Amino acid sequence: MWQLIVQIFPYAIAYTVPLLITALGGLYSERSGVVNIGLEGLMVIGMFSGAYTISRGGLPPGSAVWVGLLAAAVAGAAFSVLHAFACVTLNANQVISGIAINMVAGAMTRFLARNLTGSGNIQIMRGIQRTNIPLLSDIPILGPLLFRQTYATTWLALGILFLSAFVLFKTRYGLRLRACGEHPHAADAAGVNIYRMRYSAVLISGALAGLGGGIFLTTVSGEFSGTAGGLGFLALAALIFGQWRPFGILGATFFFGFASTIANVSQAIPELARIPGIVLKTFPFVVTLIALVAFSRSSQAPKAAGEPYDKGKR
Amino acid sequence: MKRLLLVMLVVTMVAAMLVGCAPKTPAPVDPGPGPTDPTPPPPPALKVGMVTDAGTIDDKSFNQGTWEGILKAAADFGLETRYLQPGGETTSFYLTEIGNLVDAGFNMIICPGFKFEEAIFEAQTLYPNTKFVILDGYPHSGDWAPAVGDNTVSIFFTEHEAGFLGGAAAAMHLKTGDVGFIGGMEIPAVQLFNWGFQQGVAYANANLGTSVTIKPENVIYQGTFYDVAAGQQLAATMYDRGVKAIFAAAGGVGVGVINEAKARASAGQEVWVVGVDVDQYSEGEYATGKSIILTSAMKGIGVAAYDMIADALADTFPGGEILTFSAENFGVGIPAENPNLDAAISAKVNELFEMMRDGTLVVSNEQGSLIK
Repeated sequence: MWQLIVQIFPYAIAYTVPLLITALGGLYSERSGVVNIGLEGLMVIGMFSGAYTISRGGLPPGSAVWVGLLAAAVAGAAFSVLHAFACVTLNANQVISGIAINMVAGAMTRFLARNLTGSGNIQIMRGIQRTNIPLLSDIPILGPLLFRQTYATTWLALGILFLSAFVLFKTRYGLRLRACGEHPHAADAAGVNIYRMRYSAVLISGALAGLGGGIFLTTVSGEFSGTAGGLGFLALAALIFGQWRPFGILGATFFFGFASTIANVSQAIPELARIPGIVLKTFPFVVTLIALVAFSRSSQAPKAAGEPYDKGKR
Repeated sequence: MKRLLLVMLVVTMVAAMLVGCAPKTPAPVDPGPGPTDPTPPPPPALKVGMVTDAGTIDDKSFNQGTWEGILKAAADFGLETRYLQPGGETTSFYLTEIGNLVDAGFNMIICPGFKFEEAIFEAQTLYPNTKFVILDGYPHSGDWAPAVGDNTVSIFFTEHEAGFLGGAAAAMHLKTGDVGFIGGMEIPAVQLFNWGFQQGVAYANANLGTSVTIKPENVIYQGTFYDVAAGQQLAATMYDRGVKAIFAAAGGVGVGVINEAKARASAGQEVWVVGVDVDQYSEGEYATGKSIILTSAMKGIGVAAYDMIADALADTFPGGEILTFSAENFGVGIPAENPNLDAAISAKVNELFEMMRDGTLVVSNEQGSLIK
C-alpha cells in the first residue's frame, strides 16, 4: 500500500498543480467581485501561446520551456483584458462574458494554430523534466512523497500560493481587493478605486490561468489541441469547494488531483482494479456535490461577486 | 435565486444560439417521381467531402490520415474537397454535417470511423445520388445487420495484422521484459490491434527466441479517445512497474502516452511506444534525431480514401461492397523506415509481412484466450 502511494503521489501532485494555479487565478478575480467563468478559455490561450513559443521560438530546449510559460501567463493576462473591459468598464454580465471567453478562446487559438503552423495541434518536443531534489528526497516518509520526481513548476506554484495568501490577507492591496468583492460601495467611500482594483485582479487571474494552461502543456499533455479538457471548470469547482481561501483551494485541488489520479491509474494497478472504475471516476464529483450542499449555509463567497459595480446604486 | 435564473437564461440562450446556428436539417428527398428530365445532364464533377470522427482534423491519426488521402487525390485529379467537424459524436450530428455537404454539392462523402455506421445507413437512402465511403464500419440500422447501399462502400482493415507486426518488432527489439497495451474505447478496430499485438509478441517468443511478457494488468482500454492526462498517468504507472514498451492505439490518450515516454527518454530511461494508424515517428521526437516511437502499426486509411476516389472517377466505384484492406493488398503494415529498429529486425518484420501476404502466417481476428 505504501509503495503504491509513493508511486502515484508525484503524479497526483503533477495533476494538481495546473488546477491549483488556475483556481488561484479565479480566487483573485472573485475576491475582487468579478466572477470568472472564463478560466477554461484562458487556460487554452495559455496552452496555445506556450506551445507556439516553445515549438517555434527557436530557443534552446532548456530555456524555451520557461519562456513559453512566461508567454502563457502574458497571453492569459492580455486576453483577460477583454473580460475586465466587459465586466468592469461596461458593467456587462460577468457570466456571459466568461462564457464568451471560453467560446472564443478555443476557436480562435485553433484558427491561429492552423494559420501559423498549418496544423490545429502544436506539439512541443520537450516539456519540464522531473527531478529528485537532492538531500530532501532522502528524508524518511516525506522525501519520497514530496521531493522525488517533482517538477520545478510545482515549486513555482507553491511559491505563488504562499505569495497569494500573503498578498491577499496581509497587505493593503489585498485588503482593498477583498473589500471590493465584499462591499464595493464602502470601499469606494474609503477612497479605493474599484475599477482599477478589479482590473488588476482580473488581469492577475488571466495571467495565473494562462500559466496553469502552460503548466498543463509542459507537464501533462505535451501538445496544444484547442482544449484544456475541462480543467478550468474543475478549477472553478475547486475554488468554491475551497471556500475562496488559498489553503482551502490547495486542499480542494489536491483532493481532485489525488482522486482523479487514482481513478486514472487504477486500471493498471491490480490492487485498485478490484474497485469498479465508475466508482473511482465519479468519487471526486460526488464528494464535491455533497460538500457543496453541506457548506451551502455557511458559504464564504465574496458578497459582491457577480455584481457589476454601479456607483449610483445603494 | 436571481443568479440561478440568470444562469438558466444564459444556458437557454447559448443553446438557442447553437440551434440557431445549426444549418437547416436537410429536407428528406422525396422518394416519389422527381423531375424526370428525358435527357439527363452529364454527371457533375466529383466533389469529395469528409466528416471528421472524434477529435480534430489534425489528430495525426484517423482523421488526418483520411484527409491526407483525400488531399492527395485532389492534387492528382484536381477535385474540390472540404471537411466538416460535427458538433458532437452522435448520429444526428453526423447526419447534419453529411446533409450540409450534400447541400453544398458534394457528391462523394468519406466518413472515417465506426461511429458513422447508423448515420451512413440513413444517409445512403436519403441521398441516393451521393457516394459514401465508411471506414472501419458498415451501415446498419442499429441491429448490426449489414445493409450496404449501392452507393456506399464499407471498408475494413486487418488491424490484427498491423498489431502483429508491431508486437513482433517490439518483442525482437526488447528481447526480454514486459510490454503493455493502452487502447482507447473498446471497439472492434482497437480490440483487433490489441489481439494482433499479443499474437505478434507470442509468435516472437515461440519462434524468434525472445521472452517478452504481457501481464493482464498491462492491457487496458482507457475508455475514451481524448483523455490526455489519463494516458500520461497510465503510461507513467506502467513504465514504473517495469513495462518497457507500450502499444498505444488510443487517439488523444496516446498523445499522453507519447508525452510521458518522451519525458522519460529525455531523462535517460529506456522506454518505447509503438505508434498507431499512421507513422508516428515524428510525434515521438524528444531531441533532434531521437524518437521514442519504435515503429507504428499502420492502417492505409489514406490509401483507402485515395483508391475509392480514383475508382469513383474511373466509374468503377464498388458500391454495395464491403472491402477489406489487409497485408495482402498493402492496406496495413509498418512504416518503410524505422530508424529505431535494427536492419536485421526490420528484415525479419518484412519477412513476416510477406508470410502474411502469401498466407503462410495467419493472424487470428478472434480474442480466443488473449487478454481482453
